[in-house]
Amino acid sequence: MDVRSQIAMVFHLDKCIGCHTCSIACKNVWTDREGTEYMWWNNVETKPGTGYPTKWEDQNEYRGGWESDGSRLSLRSTGKARIVPNIFHNPSMPSMDDYYEPWTYDYKALFDSAEGDDQPVARPISMVTGKPLDIEAGPNWDDDLGGSPIYAANDPNLAALTPNQRLQLMSIERLVFFYLPRICNHCLNPACVAACPSGALYKRGEDGIVLVNQQVCRAWRACVAACPYKKTYYNWATGKSEKCILCFPRLETGQAPACFHSCVGRIRYLGNVLYDASMLPEIAHLRDEELVLAQRRMILDPHDPAVLEGARRNGIHDGIVDSAQRSPVYRFVKEFGLGLPPHVEYRTFPMLFYVPPLLPVMSSKENDVADNCTDDLFADIEKARVPIAYLGSLFGGGNEGVVRYALRKQWAVRLARRHLTVGDVTREAAARALAEADCSWEQADAIYRLTALAGMEERCVIPPFQREMAIEMMEDPHLHRSSVGFGFRAAPVRGV
Amino acid sequence: MHPTHTIRCLAAAAVLVTAAASARAQDPDVSEETIQFFQLNCASCHTVGGGKLTGPDLKGVAERRERAWIATFVLDPRAVIDGGDPVAQELFRGANGVYMPSVPGLTRDRVEKLIDLLVVESAKERSRFVGLQLSDRALTEADVARGRRLFEGSQPLAGGAPACLSCHTTGAVPGLGGGRLGPDLSDVYARLEGRKPLAAWLAAPPSPTMQPVFKERPLDGEEVLALVAYLADTSAAGGAATPRAGLGFLFAGIGGVLASLVGLDFVWRRRFRAVRRPLVRGTRA
Repeated sequence: MDVRSQIAMVFHLDKCIGCHTCSIACKNVWTDREGTEYMWWNNVETKPGTGYPTKWEDQNEYRGGWESDGSRLSLRSTGKARIVPNIFHNPSMPSMDDYYEPWTYDYKALFDSAEGDDQPVARPISMVTGKPLDIEAGPNWDDDLGGSPIYAANDPNLAALTPNQRLQLMSIERLVFFYLPRICNHCLNPACVAACPSGALYKRGEDGIVLVNQQVCRAWRACVAACPYKKTYYNWATGKSEKCILCFPRLETGQAPACFHSCVGRIRYLGNVLYDASMLPEIAHLRDEELVLAQRRMILDPHDPAVLEGARRNGIHDGIVDSAQRSPVYRFVKEFGLGLPPHVEYRTFPMLFYVPPLLPVMSSKENDVADNCTDDLFADIEKARVPIAYLGSLFGGGNEGVVRYALRKQWAVRLARRHLTVGDVTREAAARALAEADCSWEQADAIYRLTALAGMEERCVIPPFQREMAIEMMEDPHLHRSSVGFGFRAAPVRGV
Repeated sequence: MHPTHTIRCLAAAAVLVTAAASARAQDPDVSEETIQFFQLNCASCHTVGGGKLTGPDLKGVAERRERAWIATFVLDPRAVIDGGDPVAQELFRGANGVYMPSVPGLTRDRVEKLIDLLVVESAKERSRFVGLQLSDRALTEADVARGRRLFEGSQPLAGGAPACLSCHTTGAVPGLGGGRLGPDLSDVYARLEGRKPLAAWLAAPPSPTMQPVFKERPLDGEEVLALVAYLADTSAAGGAATPRAGLGFLFAGIGGVLASLVGLDFVWRRRFRAVRRPLVRGTRA
């Protein structure tokens, strides 16, 4: 057993209202510089939809992530035969058009225009060329199903559905959507780190945060191609790649990352988990459908004496173990079985988990097609407007069972709460639902509390980073204090 | 100091002085540098007592002509010949209409030293400038073949000098022809009047371009013979290298570039792929 600690996250999609506050918080803190205009380290997508960059989930287009031949994992994006002939231009990389051309508005025209019969307007201007621009795309262009016939209809996850289901999903009165906020998953087996020819990317040993060393990056952009979630970005101004840093300067000072802190729906949970790194080489070759549960097996019980002994052996501090024991992520993923990794079939083992959304239900179903809306808001999850197969493709690696389990348990908790607070559900019905969902009354209460009532300290259990101890080993803390802060000690510059 | 020792020292000094004096008596006022200069710049066309090459044999030249005339001629041969000097005209005809080149770095002072050298060498029974003594054996087909290999560079020159082909061509060079920096050597055998002058040239090429290269990496005698055989062969075959080869090279270049561009365009045909735009255009369902 090789026990390590990793900061992990849970996004509760049932609570997300799609307000993009997280994106704006992140943008204002990290990516309002030249060269980063188009980057959204945090973005919120509408599903079904093609997301940002367009169709990022289609790895036939972008060739991100790993593939296994049963004994060996290899990156889809690299390999000598592929890289050498494409060394100056990797065709699998998203172009600016696949993201969007960033723009601002010519606000000055509002003040400077000559007096006339018409109101002056602020025309959109490209932030790349500085010229007027016809806006054709944006980071959330398909927000709330905007442009569905193009964007929602081309969601790669729809491949899991029958043609009938696909058709019905697009028809009026049966439209359904939910939000998918995305940040870097800080994967256990990050493809971006493996792909970097310069060794600029690294996964921090103490907390698993994946970072790009701006001094070492040589603009190969191999990470951009390799990341199947397209969460590394190339800064054209500095000639370096950048990505979500999980606000580590905030974490190190005991604050939640900006997107977590600002989330108005309180959907975001953060905490460290202990996992067994020695299992990774073995489970990386399992079939797609087995990966969710295999990854869950890797996460260790922080109360198990054997795990505690392993943690001590690996030099994990008691403070970090203590915080792992209080981690909401451990509860959602391991105890409740609600947290599911996105597209685990890319085999990077993302450490951001999603609680799948309970969506509106249908009253009847023929030929896999739901027929009408219902008065019964607590009908069976099988009748939900979003077919389980769709969520299975997104969160289960094709395994619908784990999605069904998570949805059924949430549904049972709702019934239990309904019984307790409104009383229109009988105790027997609620108890039966809980039993079918593999959930006790105590667990239902715990899920309810963590979902609905948890305060900031419960949602974000930030482990002690002990920078003070780490720094003391290297230099005088007083000296260190005067030489750090936000920003760069040596600004990144293009070239070697 | 011990008296015996002093005497011994003096004796030794006396011997050395005598030896030096006798050496100077042999070659009065001739420095090693002047000998070197003649070897590099004159010996490819002239011998001293070795017979006529491209230029006349210089044995006893200082007796045949006045020193002043020699100096004037050597400093600017073309001006003297074109000036209508009868002696020079006759020499010019004798040299088959080849102007003697004016030698770079030649000064009046140096000319005087060269004439002194010629006086000394002419007095010798066998001058050091009697010319390259090559075998007189008949040149065979094997020599021609070896010469071709040396010329075209498929067999390297022993001294490490570059192959002739890098700067020269002949009518017998196949394909795109040889180099264009130096002159076409198809008829050089005829132009230089045969084996001996050509061999002398090859043994110590005096031209400003070749001299610095071949000074350090001279050809050996057998190589010279082989090359002479090859050049004699091309000269006998007649016909200069065709200028079409140059044009052909140009067209081959243009064609090659176009072909490789088309090839690269095919190999990288997916380089301008886009994801979003075709989606919006509806070409990708």
